[in-house]
Amino acid sequence: MNYRFQFGVVWDNFHELLEGAWLTFQLGVFAFAGGALIGLFCAAVKTYAPRPFRFIVDAYVVFITNTPALIQIYFLYFGLPEVGLRWSNEACLLIGLTLNAGAYLTLILRAGFISARITEIEAGQTLGMSLLQQVRYIIVPHIAKAVYPALANFFIVVLVMGTSVGALIGVDELTGQAINLSSVNYRWLEYFTVVAGMYVVLTFIASIGLALLGQWAFRVKARIF
Amino acid sequence: MAHLAVSDVRAKYGSLEVLKGISFSIEKGEIAALVGPSGSGKSTVLRALMGLTPITEGSVEIASERMNYSSAKEVRAARDRMAIVFQAYNLFQNMTVMQNLTLAPLKIKKWPKAEVEAEARRLLGLVGLSDKADAYSDQLSGGQQQRVALARGLALKPQILLLDEVTSALDPELVGEVLDAIGKLAAEGMTMVIVSHEMGFVREVADKVVFMDAGQIVESGAPAEIFDAPKTDRARDFFSKVLRH
Ligand SMILES: Nc1ncnc2c1ncn2[C@@H]1O[C@H](COP(=O)(O)OP(=O)(O)O)[C@@H](O)[C@H]1O
Ligand SMILES: [Mg+2]
Repeated sequence: MNYRFQFGVVWDNFHELLEGAWLTFQLGVFAFAGGALIGLFCAAVKTYAPRPFRFIVDAYVVFITNTPALIQIYFLYFGLPEVGLRWSNEACLLIGLTLNAGAYLTLILRAGFISARITEIEAGQTLGMSLLQQVRYIIVPHIAKAVYPALANFFIVVLVMGTSVGALIGVDELTGQAINLSSVNYRWLEYFTVVAGMYVVLTFIASIGLALLGQWAFRVKARIF
Repeated sequence: MAHLAVSDVRAKYGSLEVLKGISFSIEKGEIAALVGPSGSGKSTVLRALMGLTPITEGSVEIASERMNYSSAKEVRAARDRMAIVFQAYNLFQNMTVMQNLTLAPLKIKKWPKAEVEAEARRLLGLVGLSDKADAYSDQLSGGQQQRVALARGLALKPQILLLDEVTSALDPELVGEVLDAIGKLAAEGMTMVIVSHEMGFVREVADKVVFMDAGQIVESGAPAEIFDAPKTDRARDFFSKVLRH
């Protein structure tokens, strides 16, 4: 064991790692936001819609949650060109991650729908709220509060585990950048040490942001770790 | 003309008919109390008035105006004229007391903010909770939450207030503060239909007592008549049980 760490080369290219981290962050946020919209819609369908629609949602959720994200993204990346659709690597990754997050978020948000209190909804109705107003003022805040901790945890999963799949289809997010750079000068150990640290910082920032947001918006007690 | 006239109202849950022809009326500023054994349909009467349980037959008139519950717009017309307070308060838990009171006047009625907030503060004063405007419901006792619910019901300036066993979920020592608040409303001339097991309170504030059993009105009249000289065996039986304690 007489490996000599040489971090100099890593610092020389640090701005490229930062670019990767920024792309990772953007991918995480967009995939999560898109997934949340899909999840909200599908959870509403599962709660309120007739059986055939519920079945479609169930099929989507079962398919996604029982196959690896990598396979789903390969499907888009290698499969779509076969039917004449050509998307960039980034688009394939983002759409794959979004569809993947959508299925998991359907499950998380569904729990919130079940917990929304019918009594509060009736109170809203008797005050004259329309269906849309009930959703906006009672159901969504209630769901958000009930499932916020689970949502925040899942965001970290998307941010770290989800986006790094991009490295395998040539997206230059943080993991991808590290692979690119270290394959030039073989300083794998140095690059991955630094990148691991950057992931920790990234999730730390995201966790603090989410905890503060939760406390401010839903009075969820801040618990970062 | 009666302020509220309920005529031969019927209602069902599925195939089970729970209101089998209910008729009563009250004048403006009067208070009617619905009493009777559990399951007799008292809550359903109030829910039917608010359009939460569909009316299958019969009619409801408020200030000589016929309420139809056949479209969303007509249900809203009934909800414009009446407010209901539930046994379990049903406050919006994600909002402060002030937001609970002002949400509907601001967002649904679009009344001016300054006016709405001033009225909300007046109502909180009326129910004795001026210092709780910024509290959330999980920071309040049951009695306080129920007084907030009363104030929220009043914030839309209803012509008629419906109260469904508003003290039944409360610890005994908290019942008094809620009854006091209702007493103040009575003194202000609020027209109310109340469901209550607090017979002493009913005797004190009600102008008319309606005794229900199994989805029907068995007898009704002034509190003294009904409590002291019930005409039917069923009423006599019921009151002998509830008035004993
Ligand atoms: N949501 C419901 N579904 C089916 N039956 C109901 C429902 N709510 C009440 N009932 C029935 O309707 C009858 C009247 O109930 P309710 O109006 O709540 O009585 P009360 O308020 O006098 O105790 C009871 O037999 C009760 O079991
Ligand atoms: Mg009841």
